[in-house]
Amino acid sequence: MKPTAFDYHAPASPEEAVSLLGSLGDGAKIIAGGQSLTPMLALRLAVFEHLVDIRRIESLRGVSRSNGTVRVGAGTTEAAVGRSDVVAADVPLLARATPFIGHLAIRNRGTIGGCVAHADAAAEYPAVALALDATIETLSPRGTRSIPAAEFFTGIWSTALEPDELITALEFGVWSGRTGFAVEEFAVRSGDFAIAGATVAVELSSSGSVDRCAIGLFGLGPTAVRATAAEESAAGTAVPDLNPDEIGQAALAGQDVPSDSHGSAAYRTRVGAAMVATAWRRAVKEASGE
Amino acid sequence: MSGPAVGGAARYAGTRVHRVEDTRLLTGTGTFADDVTRAGLLHAFFVRSPHARAAILSVDATEALALPGVIAVFTAADLNGDIREQWYTIDGPDIPDTPRPPLADGMVRYVGDPVALVVAEDRYIAEDAAELVMVDYDPLDPVVDYATARESEVLVHDAYPGNVAGEIPGAPFETLDEVCDGAAHVLTETIREQGQAAVPMEGRGLTAEWSGGELTLWSASQAPHEVRLFASRLLGVPEHKVRTITRDVGGGFGQKVVPQREEMCVLLAVRKVPGPLKWTEDRQENLLSAGQARHEHGDVRMAFADDGTMLATSIDHTDDVGSYPTPWPVGPGIAVGMMFPGPYRVAAGTFKHTSMFSNTVGRTAYRGPWAFETLARELCLDIAARRMGIDPAELRRRNILRRDEMPYSNPVGMPYDHMSPNETFEQALSILGYEEFRKEQAAARAEGRYLGVGISTYVEPTASAMPYYGSEGATIRVEPSGKINVYMAGGSTGNSLETTAVMLTADALGARIEDVSTIQGDTAVTPFGPGTGGSRSGPMIAGAVGETASILRERLLAIAAGKLEADVADVELSESSASVKGDPDASVTFAEIANLAYFQPAALPPGVPAGLEASARYAAQAMMLWANATHVCTCEVDTVTGAVKLLRYIVSEDCGPMINPNLVEGQIAGGVVQGIGGALMEHLAYDEDGNPVSTTFMDYMLPTSTEVPVIEYGHVETPGPNPGGYKGVGEGGAIGAPAAVANAVADALSPFGVTVTQLPLTPDAIVGLISSAGGAS
Repeated sequence: MKPTAFDYHAPASPEEAVSLLGSLGDGAKIIAGGQSLTPMLALRLAVFEHLVDIRRIESLRGVSRSNGTVRVGAGTTEAAVGRSDVVAADVPLLARATPFIGHLAIRNRGTIGGCVAHADAAAEYPAVALALDATIETLSPRGTRSIPAAEFFTGIWSTALEPDELITALEFGVWSGRTGFAVEEFAVRSGDFAIAGATVAVELSSSGSVDRCAIGLFGLGPTAVRATAAEESAAGTAVPDLNPDEIGQAALAGQDVPSDSHGSAAYRTRVGAAMVATAWRRAVKEASGE
Repeated sequence: MSGPAVGGAARYAGTRVHRVEDTRLLTGTGTFADDVTRAGLLHAFFVRSPHARAAILSVDATEALALPGVIAVFTAADLNGDIREQWYTIDGPDIPDTPRPPLADGMVRYVGDPVALVVAEDRYIAEDAAELVMVDYDPLDPVVDYATARESEVLVHDAYPGNVAGEIPGAPFETLDEVCDGAAHVLTETIREQGQAAVPMEGRGLTAEWSGGELTLWSASQAPHEVRLFASRLLGVPEHKVRTITRDVGGGFGQKVVPQREEMCVLLAVRKVPGPLKWTEDRQENLLSAGQARHEHGDVRMAFADDGTMLATSIDHTDDVGSYPTPWPVGPGIAVGMMFPGPYRVAAGTFKHTSMFSNTVGRTAYRGPWAFETLARELCLDIAARRMGIDPAELRRRNILRRDEMPYSNPVGMPYDHMSPNETFEQALSILGYEEFRKEQAAARAEGRYLGVGISTYVEPTASAMPYYGSEGATIRVEPSGKINVYMAGGSTGNSLETTAVMLTADALGARIEDVSTIQGDTAVTPFGPGTGGSRSGPMIAGAVGETASILRERLLAIAAGKLEADVADVELSESSASVKGDPDASVTFAEIANLAYFQPAALPPGVPAGLEASARYAAQAMMLWANATHVCTCEVDTVTGAVKLLRYIVSEDCGPMINPNLVEGQIAGGVVQGIGGALMEHLAYDEDGNPVSTTFMDYMLPTSTEVPVIEYGHVETPGPNPGGYKGVGEGGAIGAPAAVANAVADALSPFGVTVTQLPLTPDAIVGLISSAGGAS
């Protein structure tokens, strides 16, 4: 369990980082917290000739709020996201997903940008980004891009990122009004990747019907996914007329749920529906001010 | 509660003395196998088979050898022929041992089978070179499932028809037909356990240095002297020219009782390379190649009278020994049948054991290698209780042996004695508050919550007197300064053998514990000992220290009496001094006695030899020391997700008087956690092509502190027939736990009509059980 030989680069700026990516070519890989990449290198599941370490780039870190959005630098550690008052107040779903990520030691090194770039289907942040329609800001030698989360996750461990492209930040719209947010996850052990998980955001009208809602699923497909059909069927309906268990069933209907040694597709579907239902109940309860 | 002392007044035995090992271990200054460095050290790494079964057509190391820093690449043709003798002392040379080539020769027989050994200047280069070794395989159909291997046309080893590694029958099962035919209730069930791994925190590891005809070995081993003996025989190097040094070992649990194939390769290769050679097993190798355990099943028959009285038990037991089991698996397999009647009053019984080969990793010992008997029996008792409409606790109560019934011979001839199954059983239920729990359970069920309680009781033969394990030596030296060193074989893998030896030596000599130290694990200076295994170390250390200390006590007393001009009978040893009873001013310190013994031999009383050093050897006085325990577990099952939350876990155990309750409870806790893992999540699994699917900790799931409740302990002390009455406690926790957890889950799900016969009880499996049982009644 020793990695193959690689050259190590520690650029001082995002521009220098993507310039390195451009000049070094396909054999180069960004390393941030290294919580997924390092074991993959050690197991030789991943082989790179160059690692470009972005941990020293100060400008990639930090949380700020402006014009109704919250911007989280890609190099911000998951632990820092979890400690941020701004995130807790304005993007509660992101804050509430954070404790489910691994263990504290992992969150102390793992970054939000790294998590999203790695795009594990069972990870929490991609499902949050999808549910909240986050924008993923990137930089490449050709300039910056803003990629909607809905277009970012393209398949198992694959994304819309080009090989020479670096995530610089995630931008989340701030939901206001009668809102509620909940994350539910089932794993065999505390800190494991989810067998099934759901992120739910709801906003209620003054009359108590669902103005808008978002349901993100993780561990339940090749990537994190939005349960759009379930969302659409719930939108506009009065909360008492909605059965959370049925929303859970609807959210899982038609999903491409994986099977592995930790759980069959049928089992994950059952648990996923239960996670959605529970998260729905909690989010609605919060939005209702109960 | 303090136990009887060994040869002196008890002061430390029975008390919660802090571990003497902890300072170095907790400050990160221990010395494990990989911490060893030597000038010019070379590093070994194995090329392993990616196929479960394949013919090796060719091995081409040209490219690997061309890589700068690569010293050598060895194949079977280079190493296997150098073997002089290959056998383990525990089995002797005459048993019908199963094959164990150092490197695969012509055929690979499991994924991970070592095919070539790369030696390089560092581990990174060695791993790079291993990727460059071109092995041409002809993949063949494997036999993956041991349970159907007998019918397979494919043979793991050509010399073993039907893939049977060995069979040991007891009396024919038909001998029980009459009693079963006349019984009110007869239960037949097949109980299955999944493959598991011992997973020591530190993998295996060996550094070998060949210098001037002498071989020095630094080994992660439970048995340094066996590593020495084995290496001596393997290479034909005389035993006294081999030295094994083992300082700290991060867990063994049976996996490190004997050197395996990789260690053989390092031993055979070191004389062919220009420097000392180190192999450190990494985690992936450990989960791939260090051995499997617990993959077995048993067809059980139990007969009961109308009132629940057990009339007969039998088990037809089959286990998976993989491709290269280590050591010989067939003999130990008999223990499952011998222990199957357990702690119950049952008149008739028999068994059969079969070991089956498969194209998977070889079976190795794992903490309570026969523990399946407890799982199978205790699951079946709960199933039988439900079918008979008797509470599972009550069914056990009607059949469990009491201390006053000892000695008692179980129906297959195991001579139980000095134990207390009923007493630990009642104590554990009382700690729980069994009746109160049943009320709590009923109230919870009314709310749609599913709580359960599981009981598991067992008896365990510890500290066997079989030839290899039957004796232990100690050398004790009171140094010229009066400080004391006790030299013992060791083999501690975290089981506190140093603390144990120091406490018992201090008590036996009347020394202050801070004046006593111990040296273990270095064969150059310690007496022979077989190391840790079979829950033997506590009682055997006590015996060995007692034998040796009694010689030194006599000498200390004689010298002190001469110095104090007192009668020997009036002198007592305490606080590292000798003094005249009733006259504390008439006192001489161990330092003063040692000064006389070493530097003024002419002043010693007549007949007293110079120096203060003695060696002696203790031979076990009983065939085995019987320990017993009852585990009680409660849980809540989420019937939607299948999640199991353990609520309370209670162990009441009888290992005789405790040398140190902290160490006893630590041993129990470690075993219980392993058993919880086995019951709920650990699974060393293969897919149907024989590919291992759990070679990282993401997939081989160990319980962590968040899945394990606080473990509560009760102690019953029934002394064994040996010095101090101490009995073994190393394995019991792992033996009792799986059935307690599984029975708790089964009890929680009893309203659904669920029957639990198979581990692990993963959430997915639990949901499946509920679904197939058809919902709550």
